[in-house]
Amino acid sequence: MRPAPFPIGNKFCPGDPDVKEKTLSYALLIPAFIIVLATTLYPLGYSFVTSFREWDLTKQRRPSGFVGVENYVHAASESGFQNSLWVTTIFVVTSVILTLVLAMSLALLLRRKGRMHTFTRIILILPFAMSPALIGVSYRFMFNPEFGVLAKGIGAVFPALEGTPWLASPDLAMAILVITDVWHWTPYMTFMCLGGLASIPRETEEAARIDGASNLRIIFGIVLPQMKGVLLVTAVLKTIFALKMFDQVVTLTGGGPGTSTETMAFFIFNVGFKWFDMGYASALAWILTAIMMLISAWYVRMLLSERKMAKA
Amino acid sequence: MAEVRLVDIEKRYGNFLAVPQQSLTIEDGEFLVLLGPSGCGKTTTMRMIAGLEEITSGDIQIAGERINDKPPKDRDIAMVFQNYGLYPHMTVRQNIEYPLKLRGVDKAARTKRVQEMADKVELGALLDRRPSELSGGQRQRVALARAIVRTPKIFLMDEPLSNLDAKLRVTMRAELKHLHHELGVTTVYVTHDQMEAMTLASRVAVMREGRIVQLDTPKKIYAEPANLFVAGFIGSPSMNLVDGAVRNGMFRAEGIEVPVSLADREGVVIGIRPEELEIAGDASASINGKLYALELTGDSTLVTLRSGQTMLCARGPADFEAPIDAPCHLTPKPGARIHLFDRASGQRLDGTRH
Ligand SMILES: Nc1ncnc2c1ncn2[C@@H]1O[C@H](COP(=O)(O)OP(=O)(O)OP(=O)(O)O)[C@@H](O)[C@H]1O
Ligand SMILES: [Mg+2]
Repeated sequence: MRPAPFPIGNKFCPGDPDVKEKTLSYALLIPAFIIVLATTLYPLGYSFVTSFREWDLTKQRRPSGFVGVENYVHAASESGFQNSLWVTTIFVVTSVILTLVLAMSLALLLRRKGRMHTFTRIILILPFAMSPALIGVSYRFMFNPEFGVLAKGIGAVFPALEGTPWLASPDLAMAILVITDVWHWTPYMTFMCLGGLASIPRETEEAARIDGASNLRIIFGIVLPQMKGVLLVTAVLKTIFALKMFDQVVTLTGGGPGTSTETMAFFIFNVGFKWFDMGYASALAWILTAIMMLISAWYVRMLLSERKMAKA
Repeated sequence: MAEVRLVDIEKRYGNFLAVPQQSLTIEDGEFLVLLGPSGCGKTTTMRMIAGLEEITSGDIQIAGERINDKPPKDRDIAMVFQNYGLYPHMTVRQNIEYPLKLRGVDKAARTKRVQEMADKVELGALLDRRPSELSGGQRQRVALARAIVRTPKIFLMDEPLSNLDAKLRVTMRAELKHLHHELGVTTVYVTHDQMEAMTLASRVAVMREGRIVQLDTPKKIYAEPANLFVAGFIGSPSMNLVDGAVRNGMFRAEGIEVPVSLADREGVVIGIRPEELEIAGDASASINGKLYALELTGDSTLVTLRSGQTMLCARGPADFEAPIDAPCHLTPKPGARIHLFDRASGQRLDGTRH
């Protein structure tokens, strides 16, 4: 053992075990770093390079000629992409708003600890535990006009709607796609909202009750303003998930009828692996990424200014 | 008229009995102070009056009307919460204004009133800040201003001055006293500060484990504590309490002999306040021992004497000096109140004036 008269000052000793320990800890991080590099950064970089080249997967094994920004310019005028942009916008906006409103309302209802506390929460988490692909398949069955449970059920309650070809109508197909997504995500978002609600000091609501506020006024004037931060984070997450949504389109509508539910993720997949135009697909993927980054950046700015308001 | 009547109320949290069944009448215009150690149920009692906590059994009446099932907003009360409960997303101005806004006071009157209140609690310059930008004491004053901005039937104040510095506390205390005099609103007030209790209260309720053990004027509580708990709780430094026995009109314990007018009895506790003891010159005094500690408090010196196992404290002159461990003698001042209590029950024994 080396003498250690000043146990705190030993950082300055050469050959110090602390320094060795640090080197070792960096060394141990290297494999993980390499894996991340190989699985995330490399494909990202590769697709970015590809987006400036021509690459027909039926003819070439790797990207060929450099075409500059042609792939991006093409996207600006190509109708398939324009359509997917529009479809995605409708899907994202409706599903984010519906999910947030529903999740917040449910959270407000479930907030009070009652006898059903655990039970309701278990029930609630079930939809989220299901795989999105499976949800698509099961909803397709349930909305089948011939034998679907939901289609028949709706028909029984509203005879006028009996035999409606739910998934064959563009608007209805989109509506059902949104419904499945809201159904899938609401539980998760509800839990986020419950977490946010739990962090609101009880006295703020009690003070409002004493000051003479009605229940509605307490929710809109006292509770929701304090939930702003949580709701913003929830909205960012939900927006990103909605932009990336893919499984349900494949299993529920297959993008149809026609191209009415062809979201960007689905369209990009088709461009790349159905029409084998990898250059164009890469460019589109990067456009989608840019959109997500822009939206996130906007949310983060809102969040920061909200933090500043609450703190500074 | 806003008399508050608690009739046989009881509060349980599950199996835990927070406030056992008891009754309490707070008279119209009274300033009632709840005093007691931490966790004795002061906040719980207030919250029941406010309607924030359901009562397990019993009735609450305000101005003769049973209001058990009335929501807080219909009880016409204003409350200062122990941990403020300010609205974090509103500025100080909006916080103070909120109760007026909800009761439909018009904009001009509101603005004027808010400014008045802010000046009263010395926050006039901070009206546009948010609670998170304030110090603890400033937040507390916002909470106070929000409560007194309106004239309700009842004020409930849960340690409203606990976080203020000594000087500000005295100012605010005077402010509250004046406000009470001006408006005459029935007030229930919680504090740990005996000075506050003594100066503000019309009556003090001393609580212990949820139960009110004595309800009296501050003077009476100080002069005639009903039991050992109140005797030890009220007064600072607290009353000297010594175990002993009474023989032939003389209370005796190790190093202590005090004449009392009580029949012979074992298991007696004597109580003498430090401010009613004085330092005597020689060993013919009632209390003899060795000097244990000297603490200068500014206007006086606290003299602690040790005799065997017991310690006694006396308030002596500021210039008193003596070496530690020197022999020391104390004697009750002429006309001092000697309190006697039964050891077993803790209750006050009568015939203790001397
Ligand atoms: N929601 C609750 N659930 C269970 N027990 C509670 C609850 N609220 C308070 N208690 C208990 O009731 C008792 C009285 O609490 P209360 O808050 O009234 O004390 P207090 O006299 O205001 O104390 P302090 O001076 O520390 O504020 C305490 O023992 C506390 O643990
Ligand atoms: Mg309390």
